[in-house]
Amino acid sequence: MSQPVAPVRHVLIEGNKTYHQISEDLCAPTERAPSREWILAFSVASAFTALYAFAVVWTIWKGIGEWGVNRTINWAWDITNFVWWIGIGHAGTLISAILLLFRQRWRTGVNRSAEAMTIFAVICAGQFPLIHMGRLWLAFFIFPFPNTRGPLWVNFNSPLLWDVFAISTYFSVSVLFWYTGLVPDLATVRDRAVGLRRKLYEIFSFGWTGSAKHWQRWESLSLVLAGLSTPLVLSVHTIVSFDFATSVIPGWHTTIFPPYFVAGAIFSGFAMVQTLTVITRKALKLEDYITINHIDSMNKVIVLTGTIVGVAYLTELFIAWYSGYIYEQFAFYNRVFGIYWWAYFAMMFCNVVSPQLFWSRRIRRSIWWTFFLSIVVNIGMWFERFVIIATTLARDYVPSAWSYYRPTWVEIAIFSGTIGLFFFLFMIFTRVAPVVAIAEVKAILKLSGDQYIGPKAHREVQPVTQQEVIAKYQDQN
Amino acid sequence: MQHQNNGIWVSAEDLNRDDAFLKSAEQEFSIEELADAPTGWRPSRRDFLKWMGFSVGAATVAASCEIPVRKVIPYVTKPDAIVPGVANYYASSFVNGSDYCAILVKTREGRPIKIEGNSLSSVTSGGTSARAQALVLSLYDTRRLKHPGTIEDGQVKKLSWKALDEKIKGQLQLGGNVRILTNTIISPTAKKVLDEFVAKYPNTRVVSYDPVSHAALLTANQVCFGVRGIPTYKFAEADVIVSFGADFLGTWVSPIEHARDYTSRRRIHSLDKPSMSRHYQVESHMSLTGSNADMRIQIRPSEMGAAICALYNEVARATGAPTLDGPTLNEKAQAALKKAATDLLALRGRSLVVCGTNNVMEHIIVNKINDLLGNINHTIDFSVLNNLHQGDERDLVRLIHEMNAGQVAMVIVWGANPAYELPNADEFKQAFSKVNTRVSFSTVMDETTTLCNYVAPTHHILESWGDAEPKTGHYSLIQPTIAPLFDTRQAELSLLEWADSPNLNRQAEQPYYEYLKAHWTTEMKAKQSKYATGMAFWDMSLHDGVFEVPPAPRTVEFNPNVRLNPAAVTQPGSGKVEIVFYETVNIGNGQYAHNPWLQEMPDPVTRTVWGNYLSIPVEWDGKNKMTGWMGLEDGDKVEVEINGRKQVCTVVRTFGQAPGTVAIALGGGREKGGCGVGYGVNVNPWLPIDGGFIQYFAKEVKISGKVGVEKNFACVQHHHTMGLAARDAEGKRINADEEVLAYQGALTDRSIIFQAHVNDLPNLRKKMADFHQHASHLNEQTLYPDRTDYFSIGPKWGMFIDLNACIGCGACQVACVSENNVPVVGKNEVARHHEMTWLRIDRYYYGDLENPRIVYQPLMCQHCDNAPCENVCPVNATNHSSEGINQMAYNRCIGTRYCANNCPYKVRRFNWLDYTTADTFPANEERLFRVEEGDIPFYADNLVRMVLNPDVTVRSRGVIEKCSFCIQRIQEGKLTAKREGRPLEDSDVRSACQTACPTGAIVFGNLNNPNSQVSQAIKRHEELAYQVLEEINTRPGVRYSAKIYNA
Repeated sequence: MSQPVAPVRHVLIEGNKTYHQISEDLCAPTERAPSREWILAFSVASAFTALYAFAVVWTIWKGIGEWGVNRTINWAWDITNFVWWIGIGHAGTLISAILLLFRQRWRTGVNRSAEAMTIFAVICAGQFPLIHMGRLWLAFFIFPFPNTRGPLWVNFNSPLLWDVFAISTYFSVSVLFWYTGLVPDLATVRDRAVGLRRKLYEIFSFGWTGSAKHWQRWESLSLVLAGLSTPLVLSVHTIVSFDFATSVIPGWHTTIFPPYFVAGAIFSGFAMVQTLTVITRKALKLEDYITINHIDSMNKVIVLTGTIVGVAYLTELFIAWYSGYIYEQFAFYNRVFGIYWWAYFAMMFCNVVSPQLFWSRRIRRSIWWTFFLSIVVNIGMWFERFVIIATTLARDYVPSAWSYYRPTWVEIAIFSGTIGLFFFLFMIFTRVAPVVAIAEVKAILKLSGDQYIGPKAHREVQPVTQQEVIAKYQDQN
Repeated sequence: MQHQNNGIWVSAEDLNRDDAFLKSAEQEFSIEELADAPTGWRPSRRDFLKWMGFSVGAATVAASCEIPVRKVIPYVTKPDAIVPGVANYYASSFVNGSDYCAILVKTREGRPIKIEGNSLSSVTSGGTSARAQALVLSLYDTRRLKHPGTIEDGQVKKLSWKALDEKIKGQLQLGGNVRILTNTIISPTAKKVLDEFVAKYPNTRVVSYDPVSHAALLTANQVCFGVRGIPTYKFAEADVIVSFGADFLGTWVSPIEHARDYTSRRRIHSLDKPSMSRHYQVESHMSLTGSNADMRIQIRPSEMGAAICALYNEVARATGAPTLDGPTLNEKAQAALKKAATDLLALRGRSLVVCGTNNVMEHIIVNKINDLLGNINHTIDFSVLNNLHQGDERDLVRLIHEMNAGQVAMVIVWGANPAYELPNADEFKQAFSKVNTRVSFSTVMDETTTLCNYVAPTHHILESWGDAEPKTGHYSLIQPTIAPLFDTRQAELSLLEWADSPNLNRQAEQPYYEYLKAHWTTEMKAKQSKYATGMAFWDMSLHDGVFEVPPAPRTVEFNPNVRLNPAAVTQPGSGKVEIVFYETVNIGNGQYAHNPWLQEMPDPVTRTVWGNYLSIPVEWDGKNKMTGWMGLEDGDKVEVEINGRKQVCTVVRTFGQAPGTVAIALGGGREKGGCGVGYGVNVNPWLPIDGGFIQYFAKEVKISGKVGVEKNFACVQHHHTMGLAARDAEGKRINADEEVLAYQGALTDRSIIFQAHVNDLPNLRKKMADFHQHASHLNEQTLYPDRTDYFSIGPKWGMFIDLNACIGCGACQVACVSENNVPVVGKNEVARHHEMTWLRIDRYYYGDLENPRIVYQPLMCQHCDNAPCENVCPVNATNHSSEGINQMAYNRCIGTRYCANNCPYKVRRFNWLDYTTADTFPANEERLFRVEEGDIPFYADNLVRMVLNPDVTVRSRGVIEKCSFCIQRIQEGKLTAKREGRPLEDSDVRSACQTACPTGAIVFGNLNNPNSQVSQAIKRHEELAYQVLEEINTRPGVRYSAKIYNA
């Protein structure tokens, strides 16, 4: 390989992989019969998905009154979950778009599953604005379309309407990006498959032949989509934060929300990617492709965004004090020391304190620490949204209306159900598509394979040309 | 075939002009191919139509699920008075035991749907009470008895009226002793009926008592003045008021009248020379009246006698009368009473001392105090007596004795419910069972009716004819506004029937109407000279609803022979804890427990609904914590034992509850008769009897620690204070709110309530001016366009609420529920803060933590011109009219609830469940409260639905609703003015809360008209008027005035 590789680059593909081995390794999960563990885990996820469906039907049939929300706290777990899931989705877009533009090679190991995660998280998130409506069957009212109900139009002033646009755009661009990336890999799977399976993959890979023109177009489209998605990384959560920032409620009405929400979203998104990849690489034996170096890189993002979020929390408190505005001051005082003080401290501990452990290289490169802290961060980010929504509403302007919120079984079922739904979708995904982008990994093999760089690099086995690879492949068969 | 298109060919054959091609080209539209189609069936146009017709028909049949059909049947012959869509108002009266209100009944298409006050009455002056407002709902009570019958095992076995009459007459003719057991009867005609009955059956005696007794007051007046009656208390003329436990604004004697008079002296008429009455309230629990007082003097209930003696002694010393050696009183109260005495003595003849206890000697001493102060014949006027309380529970002792002795053959129960209301109900029940014939006139199967063997259900008052004389010379008529819904008969008519009255025209369509009219056209007509003929007099009286005769002046003298005996007053108890039993404005002594509107109206002070709760004092740790007595929290259950009777009560912490005392309302724990069954505890068996008089306190009560927690503790307000001061460990005054919320300015700096002492008005004016300046400085930074022009085209609706005139009685709240079809949601839902009331009355404690005052703030949609709710609705379901009204389009609402979150006042209400059964799926219909027979949801029944106002949409599940400023009334008023071709006037549009208010605290109208009442009121209060949360630039259409007190 003629391309120069800096010696400081991390090895991103271990195990002295050949191109063929990469195809073998990465297609394997879609080709072998499901393991007993997979079936067991899938059954649990399906059960929770069923619980989700039941709780949603229950809500629609009986009414929102089945939830614990009340006349003062009109949003609680519903919107908390919505923002949480949307935030989780952000890592996928960030990895696929911004890291692509920044030429971060380590993204190839995790981008496929992160993008899939984005889509499934947005699917989970998108449920909540719908099911929290009092009259779901009239949800189509939120779309601006010519209608026969007089010239009745949506309210373009409402942040909820902006949400509709933001989330639907985000979802469609994410799906496009993800699927575009999948096409060459689906073709790889197709080429290895027979019978009906082959026919199906034939359809899903859009007749990909791997011609130079295909690759060229594919590269261009990826770049265009990356360009489109980049602003989305910032805009979606900014608009979600407008749900709160444009209101008149002290504790919501703050200009810091957009950057703070975006940082929080990336933070929680990476935490969720960590949770998933740590499990996936083990379960699907992808340790050679999702290496400790990948995990290390993502932990660095977590400690950065976690610190940004921490600064935002402290800034909020400072500005509340500095504003001299009693409502604002009380709102933040209440947030810290009020009835939901435990939620605030849970948030502070999980989001600000715990990621600081990642300053330690040893912890950053520990699978167990990473898994544990990624869960902690996800819990913390859920609490952040709960604190912002429920705590703020529980103590707003008029003290006679103050109230307290606790969830009912329906809300708990819906939330745990969306987690079930998320894993349900993700586990199907691991069975039908390569969870690591085969084509992209191959593209960086010579830049990041351990046989080329790093301490174990040994030139003698280095296949130099494509012909050699083919020859070697033919020899093996 | 020659090409028309030069040189254009479609194929090689075409170009070559191939024969075969030419042939086929000629037959381009050949029908041969169709002819070649399979033989047999061939589709034709007719077949197509047939099949399509069948498919559409089949689909229609298959798809047509059954949906409930509610029929609308037009009039075949339109009654003269009824124009569909136009309401008729009939003057009538609300009379129930000791409650009276002159009313107008609004009917739509023959259904009474709303109660308004009758402003022609000088007793109630157009004011109403929550009880009066809720009257219409009880008409449509599904548990009303539907026919006469015998009662076997608690069930009514149907009898015809004729059969019943025969049976009862048969019993009457046996000549045994008959007793008619009633509450106070204020109807002159009913009294005449009773006289006829007694004349026919001379062994009859009428025994009456009141659910809440005023017998000691009557007895004391008899002793002191020789008049067994309750005088008129002129609160409007009293500069100083001292009340010994009399809840005169809520329940005592004539609250609607008192509220009007009292508040006339509480308003700030002039900022420079404010004149306000000063009100001292001596009591143990925070009553509605006490909550409005300038100074509350806290005592234990058993110290009441001592307190009265103490005040007497102060007055006596100054006037040279002999002092009394009364029981000792706590020093704090003693000192406060000394101050009260100074005030009283400074304003002799212009002060008023009233007493709400049921101890004769206490009333005698209070009468003497008033005598010494020269109030008798001035602020206390015996020329007009109040007739609403005439009962005497001592008569019952004799009745029970007679019944036990087997001397009574028949008891007719009329209106009363002794099996529940009496402290000795068990004793009564036992004696009652020894009576051979027990007849009830009750409209529902209540505790007493269950024990009877005949029931002759009387009409609801809205189906009845009748009259009333609530006060001397104040007559009032009752007319039916709907034909009887069930096979019931008016009690008076039953009595006349059984008495074989010769004055009854049995052939008449409405015999009692004739009877009543005869009385009015003869005897009543003689009282006036305006109308020459009886008919004219009757017509006018019926039209006006009231007829008033100027009273003959009567002065009374305090009988000099009356001996004041301090030993006969209540002697302080030695018990560790004492308990007070009190009557609430909504439930009474259980008479109103079966009315869901009243059950769901929060108690003004404790803010709890559906049941009675044990109020316990709040303790201050001297630092930063307010805890319930014994560490109890709201909703904890405790076991309460009085005289060996134990019951489990739920606790509610109440500021102002005197230390060492607890309190619980009467009227809970009903066992029979309607939706109130099972809510709260029945405290009547706990009431002690002293000297024949029921006492509304007990000196000895044992309270266990916490025995559990009530899951459905239903209280609509969690936070209580708005600026309480306390003393720290060193006795320094500190701001308790700050300490508890650990944050300075947490509440009192919020622009929600402004309050000040009347002598501190200059400071308040400055403070408010500074606040307005601060707010307008902030608001000038707005990005919103100025919409003044937008609102200047037509009327701009606005409201002004004078917090000095609001006493918190809740009439407006029930009126709003009635007018706007606000659903009843039941206890469980209120406990989850799902209450639906559009108008709530916030209650904040302020002043001294241990003995606070209360400010009530009616809060409804503020109709902000910069409404935060309107911006955030994604579908434009809520928007602003050019008349300044925040409008709600229910059909457009999808229920995101963002508007409710973004409402700074939290006045928007969401239909969490299907409260109104507006949805078509019966599975959604919530069972809101326990029902005795037949488990149907509240609004599902067609009978109950008759109470709905047809002008107001019934909201379905999943939509937001809120105060509309009674948009239907605005629309009606505008149309009336337009039709009459004149500008809109104040009288055209009056909101439901405004008309219900007994004190006129709420003024509504057109802000663009400088002469409208509301503009005038705001102008008059300019410097004290404010908008809630003015500085957030919502620009509300509702303004309040600061609360002023005169301590």
